[in-house]
Amino acid sequence: MTLILSSTGAYPRIGDSSELQLLRRTAALAERGERTAADLADAENEMTRKAMEEQVRAGVELITDGQIRWYDPISHLAGKLAGVEINGLLRFFDTNFYFRQPVLIARPQRLQPMIVDEYRFAANALGQLPLASEKAGKLAVKPVLTGPYTLAKFSLVGAGGDGMSSLAAHAEAYAEALSEELRALAEAGATFLQLDEPAILKYPGDWDIFAAALAKLVTARERVVKSGGRLAIALYVYFRDPGPLYERLAALPVDVLGLDFTYSPNLVDVVASAGSPIPLGLGLVDGRNTRLEDPSAVARTMEKMLPKIAGEMAYLGPSCGLEYLPRDRAYAKLELLERIRAALAGQARLQRGRSHTG
Amino acid sequence: MSRQKLERLGVHLPLFPATSVGSFPKPDYLVQARADFSKGRITQQQLEELERKATAFWIAKQEELGVDVLVDGEQYRGDMVAYFAERMPGFTQGGLVRSYGNRYYHKPVITGAVLWPGPITVGWWKYAQGLTAKPVKGMLTGPYTVMDWSFNEHYADRKAACLALADALRQEVQALIAAGCRIIQIDEPALSVRPEELPIAIEAMHRVTNGLDAYFITHACYGAFEYIYPAMLDLPVDNFDLEMSNSGLDMLALFRRHPFTKDISFGVVDVHSHVVEDADTVRRRVEQALTVLPKERVWVDPDCGLKTRTVEEAIEKLRACVAAARAFRN
Repeated sequence: MTLILSSTGAYPRIGDSSELQLLRRTAALAERGERTAADLADAENEMTRKAMEEQVRAGVELITDGQIRWYDPISHLAGKLAGVEINGLLRFFDTNFYFRQPVLIARPQRLQPMIVDEYRFAANALGQLPLASEKAGKLAVKPVLTGPYTLAKFSLVGAGGDGMSSLAAHAEAYAEALSEELRALAEAGATFLQLDEPAILKYPGDWDIFAAALAKLVTARERVVKSGGRLAIALYVYFRDPGPLYERLAALPVDVLGLDFTYSPNLVDVVASAGSPIPLGLGLVDGRNTRLEDPSAVARTMEKMLPKIAGEMAYLGPSCGLEYLPRDRAYAKLELLERIRAALAGQARLQRGRSHTG
Repeated sequence: MSRQKLERLGVHLPLFPATSVGSFPKPDYLVQARADFSKGRITQQQLEELERKATAFWIAKQEELGVDVLVDGEQYRGDMVAYFAERMPGFTQGGLVRSYGNRYYHKPVITGAVLWPGPITVGWWKYAQGLTAKPVKGMLTGPYTVMDWSFNEHYADRKAACLALADALRQEVQALIAAGCRIIQIDEPALSVRPEELPIAIEAMHRVTNGLDAYFITHACYGAFEYIYPAMLDLPVDNFDLEMSNSGLDMLALFRRHPFTKDISFGVVDVHSHVVEDADTVRRRVEQALTVLPKERVWVDPDCGLKTRTVEEAIEKLRACVAAARAFRN
């Protein structure tokens, strides 16, 4: 079983030191017209490099750009589409974080790249990190997209959006736009895409709409593969217990299923009992609370599930993006991943030793 | 029932009592003073003098406008959870986390057993009540919301943290009652964020209020109430103060399907908009309320705290509430 240490999206863009408040300062000055858009982009670049460097230093192998440039997981993507305006603030699930709500004034259309440039920057930056050279070939950047159903679920219809009356129509339009982005990401060199669909756990009654929208991205992925490209889709769900939907989620035509294990202690047993036909993303480290997990306890939990996961591969990571934590704790949570893997290896050695002597 | 309780407590209110949710905007001089204090340029005493001045301003303004149940305006508070966390043993200030855009805050961390440190809000309540003959609400943040908006490194789980906070906050309620406070609002804006945890919030509120003789209000906003209604009516309070206008009075449809059985502080003005609602708009909202709620149970107020509005906008929105309440009363 190969266990890859993975980030799950966002990383804090601020820390307690003055150096780590660069982006906050620059954004505040830019709001007052005292810094230019280029200054702001420089600060975002700098903080993106720092977020990536910390992930690599913590031992993570599949990293993200920290989503440092994202205002939030909804408006950063929807706001880049034609036909979409961005409205007021709304609470993001059960977090204390607020996103800006998209308003559809026409069918959303992708007239420009959404995150391809961000991915290219991160992929280049990874090669320039001093620590990365020691781990050459073992590290990769994964782009993250919020999925079409979640984008649609949080969008309103505004004046002019008359043809966009149904949730299914919204999701389909977003799926088409995201499919184009998926192809562009693959062309830019991405081989692993994290697709976040947290809303389906909260609104399981929308399953058919969610699945139909996802199917469009799966089709786009198949076209990439048929034309000689390589791209895996990892569907991540979080912010609620995925247990009730687990078997349906695991049967979806994606390459990896990422799960949040922090909402129900029963999920481990659900997975251990049902198994998984595809590799899993194991969100066993709580991305929402500062308490650090006991690596041995997490390793014991994993032992119950790993033998039941197909593909001889799993991705160990936080339960969600880490922007909900202070920076020092976010880093500590990522450092834990390597310690959990070591504890797992230690327990496996111990068991082999016992069976050998027994 | 609750009107009888108020009478028994010696609180005599007209029909459609006009009130507000809690916070008012801080005048410019107080905003500047808080910044100066954080940089060590003025003393705690100097800051408090200005907080008292601002509190007196808002008490006088509410009286002038004709508000029936007053609030102190929370001129001495920043964040509604951090204010309590900074004063209660068991909390440590956490690092910065983002709330939206370029806004960050220090999220509290529960690192030990949470305890009541002695009166937290009582001094401010006494000061505010001493400025008016009208009733002033005691104002607390509820245990579920304090728990949900904090990190927990000490208690085994969220429920244990919430109930420990309830035990501590009960002592604050007792202190308010001992000081003469008869109407106490316990804010739970996080009430609906995890519908499956509503029983925890209800159990915690029982711990806070059981057997204590006061008229209890709880304020909830930004809610996905469709997931917790009507079960939320089991919360042991007399009055729900609800954000109604911001959601286009959607909750009235829920009330039609299952009767609302408590008093309600009905939000008739949107606190997120700079636009001050005209009299007709507010009147229509109250009329809508009366299609499903008996008039004896309806209080009139803004959707939420007005602290994000300008002083002038807050005053005008409050004026609109009072005008509507008086129109229906007469």
